[in-house]
Amino acid sequence: MPRANRSAGILRRHGGALGLMIVLALLPFLFGLLEGASPLAVWNNQAGASKFYEGLLIEVFILAVYAISYDLVLGITGLLSFGHAMFFALGAYLTGILLKSFGLPLWATLLAVVGAGVLNALLFSVVLPRVKGITFALVTLGFAAVFNIVIQSHELSDWAGGDVGLQNVPIPTWLSPSDERLRFYFIALVFLFAVYWFYQRFVDSPTGRVCVAIRENEERARVLGYPTFYFKIVALTVASVTAGLAGALHTLYQPIVSPTIAGLGFTVAALLMILIGGIGTLTGALLGAAVYRLVDFFLLRFTGSSSSFLIGLIYIAIVLFVPYGIVGTWRLRNVEWRTVWQERLAQWFGIKESPQDLAPPTTEQPPD
Amino acid sequence: MRRIGIIPSGLLYRMMTSPVVLEARGLRKEFGALRAVNDVTLEIRAQTFHSIIGPNGAGKTTLFNLLSGTLEPTSGQVLFNGQDITHAPVHRRAHLGLGRSYQITNIFPNLTVLENVRLAVQALGSDNFKFWSANAKFARYTERARQVLEQVGLSDRSLRLARTLPQGDQRKMELGMILAPAPEILLLDEPTSGMATEQIPELIGLIQTIQRESRKTVVLVEHNMDVVMSVSDTITVMHQGSVLAEGAPAAIAANVQVQDAYLGHSLWHDALQQAQHEQSARGS
Repeated sequence: MPRANRSAGILRRHGGALGLMIVLALLPFLFGLLEGASPLAVWNNQAGASKFYEGLLIEVFILAVYAISYDLVLGITGLLSFGHAMFFALGAYLTGILLKSFGLPLWATLLAVVGAGVLNALLFSVVLPRVKGITFALVTLGFAAVFNIVIQSHELSDWAGGDVGLQNVPIPTWLSPSDERLRFYFIALVFLFAVYWFYQRFVDSPTGRVCVAIRENEERARVLGYPTFYFKIVALTVASVTAGLAGALHTLYQPIVSPTIAGLGFTVAALLMILIGGIGTLTGALLGAAVYRLVDFFLLRFTGSSSSFLIGLIYIAIVLFVPYGIVGTWRLRNVEWRTVWQERLAQWFGIKESPQDLAPPTTEQPPD
Repeated sequence: MRRIGIIPSGLLYRMMTSPVVLEARGLRKEFGALRAVNDVTLEIRAQTFHSIIGPNGAGKTTLFNLLSGTLEPTSGQVLFNGQDITHAPVHRRAHLGLGRSYQITNIFPNLTVLENVRLAVQALGSDNFKFWSANAKFARYTERARQVLEQVGLSDRSLRLARTLPQGDQRKMELGMILAPAPEILLLDEPTSGMATEQIPELIGLIQTIQRESRKTVVLVEHNMDVVMSVSDTITVMHQGSVLAEGAPAAIAANVQVQDAYLGHSLWHDALQQAQHEQSARGS
């Protein structure tokens, strides 16, 4: 394929994501201008409001990586796991402990996080051949609950900080979230889009297609000749490693790693994010994470203590009016709209339907 | 078990000379006290159209599941080309060259027709774990899938979602999914179930054409005797878990035992239906 053609294709396919990335990269400077600070001040981390919003968006980016990893497990492969928070929390705690108690350099820590992510996925896979569906959910919930208890235990409190959480983790000065926040912001942004790009590629690869097939009908996939067990391990491993890295970023950013990230509530948060955005859509996970964090933040800011009540109302409204999530419902509408117009055209002008336009790409279908 | 002697000589020749592809030896399956399949010995010869028929509850589907690997037998053996596959997992059997269908439509409902068949092709390729290559690179799978869709007559509906197809077309698509990886033997469990009566001959004809043209071995499990009479080379009749008779269609039709077990049942069944129909007519 000629090079120009190829880059045009890449631009067409990833144009939206690249555009969004550029907008997000310019956003801190926009916030700076709004508060009357020059771009140079933003660059030197001297613009207060801009710095604050950078921080909020960093949290969104980390949550988005976490949500997209859960979407791969639940939305793409169809594995109902209630222990996903453990993937994230293991990465977060391991980073903190290795940096603080063992004084490892950052690169070695991240390498260890990747290794631990693989092992964690294998731990979850041990039960895969034996249990499925809701039983798998309960077993993974059990794993995560044990992990949650262990990291809060008194015996480990020297390392993990007990139920207070992990504090005073030494962060390399070049990555300090308070002094070098803009740099941290860019790193989180690039990390998010790298993960997003990788996931899109993964889902569009032969392996990813098999994962979708497993979600749709595992028995059939096996009869076709797929050893579905191994594909589920692959999906879990990819999700576990990315969630672990998101956890590492969480530790680097937050002044204190609270044990709440190991609880069931944090798995439910991921579930909420992908339900808001659209399950099985990948893009929806990013959008869902943004909605989840920003709605939470702004409601808390403007309505105070009644915010959790309002958040509940918003979630109910989302389930009622956008049942497939924002992205999922949008895509479904698009398909329906196209079908309706094709029928109309056929009626008016006798044009026969072109089947090419009837169905959207496979991975973009919301599950029934 | 009683075999029937009246077999046309040409067919007899084919039946005796072509090698045995799939073989069941003393196959038995018990569910608690119920012996669903009772010491069934069966030889499926290459490139023949072999039907297994019998009334409801005769153990056809259980036997079928034992052959295809969904169930494990209580005792006995399944051999494929002389190789013991009694305990081979389902996905391994697919790689060996066994393709199977289900009594109930069993597809990927939210994927397109093309993707359903393409997944069936990809399954036996060696690219399943290439998670870093775009799917579009493997054009040969898509090509093969299109070719199969052409064969089963669905190429104009290839990009519809599978669940939006009418039942008859879903059945054809399933047939395509089995054909796609070019298996040596096709195991079909009541492929016509749930189809409108007028569509059945079309599908059966399609299966027969494919069997003849690509020289496949077909094992067809069927409840309805009329469906298989004209297309089968060999028919095995099952009754209460055992093989009641085996032979060419003409011989089976003439067999008194089969008539008793099967047609008697069918007459009874018809009478029951008639009675129910009359009752409901009176009720309304």
